[in-house]
Amino acid sequence: MANSFQTATSTPAQDVTQSCWSCGAMRTAYFCKACGKVQPATPVDYFTFFGLPRKLNVDLAALEKDFYLLSRKLHPDVVAQGSRMEQEWSLQQSSLLNDAYRTLKDPVRRTEYLLRIEGVELEEQSKAASDKARNTGEAKKQIVPPDLLEEVFELNMQLEELRMQKKMGEDDPALLEEIGKEKLKLEEKHEAHLRDLKAYWGNWDTLIEREQHGDAVSPEERRQARDKMVDLLNRRNYVRNLVRDVNEALEQ
Amino acid sequence: MSYSDKVLDHYSNPRNVGSMDKSSADVGTGLVGAPECGDVMKLQIKVNRDTNVIEDAKFKTFGCGSAIASSSLATEWVKGKTVDEALSIKNMDIVKELSLPPVKIHCSVLAEDAIRAAIGDWKKKQQTAQPVTAEAK
Repeated sequence: MANSFQTATSTPAQDVTQSCWSCGAMRTAYFCKACGKVQPATPVDYFTFFGLPRKLNVDLAALEKDFYLLSRKLHPDVVAQGSRMEQEWSLQQSSLLNDAYRTLKDPVRRTEYLLRIEGVELEEQSKAASDKARNTGEAKKQIVPPDLLEEVFELNMQLEELRMQKKMGEDDPALLEEIGKEKLKLEEKHEAHLRDLKAYWGNWDTLIEREQHGDAVSPEERRQARDKMVDLLNRRNYVRNLVRDVNEALEQ
Repeated sequence: MSYSDKVLDHYSNPRNVGSMDKSSADVGTGLVGAPECGDVMKLQIKVNRDTNVIEDAKFKTFGCGSAIASSSLATEWVKGKTVDEALSIKNMDIVKELSLPPVKIHCSVLAEDAIRAAIGDWKKKQQTAQPVTAEAK
């Protein structure tokens, strides 16, 4: 049984309880349940902060409602008459609340954040693949698929030509049109990647739900669900950077 | 951020920029990219079939100064080496030679990947294309 995983991943806020500094009763993450006083911030992840499981499909309307409710309750004005410690804690928790909300409401940031707290750094993946290739003597598995690389390379060649022409004061409508078309294709790809990412959320969430129901989830299943999202985010970032380069070249 | 003199030298005066015929049997092509920064690097080698010595190398890199310098240096280093010798070039060798800061280490990783990819492509061609080219000659 992967019991340690379960407690580590599906921790609702009520699990992170300690006794209140003021009245001694048990409290939730931000306020004492008994006397309602603000508490010092505990080092919790953003999902736990909102009392959410580590699932990627999030009810955004409920999240927003929660955010506004907590914003009011955690506002430093509420404890203006309180002790300096209370004011400090209120401020700490407000800032944690803002960071948590900003991260969780955005689909890409939410996924990147989840992957990070699950132990994945996007760049590390690339390094690990290089080490593996070096040790086994095999070619490195490219995170970016070869056909996309070809496309990226060709487009960069065209952009270079465009910059040269602009420098010489020349104008090539055909080239501009070609680059414009390529840019559209990339933007569509960027959108498609977000749709694909959302499709992968379901895989991940199913694993978390299974854990919530007491089923064991193997580390391998976890890794697979995670790596699919890592691959996709890497590709998406690549395309995003490229679109940015195209825009810069066109504007210059 | 300040680049080392060696990086600046390779950047403003890159060696072996260009391309070779991708379809040629004695040319290996490595095309690699770093999604973290959006760099893309193409490195090509021309190998003598009898001696396995890399006789020529070309590159074209779109990316930051460190990526350009790393690939420029890589082409200089692989030239004159056998394929197996070239495989022993490690990214940390490039880091040392160019005094790359930690945030630019991934550029050197990319250059090492490009060398490996180019050699891998060439090796694959030798396995599959040899009978065909032998007949053609």
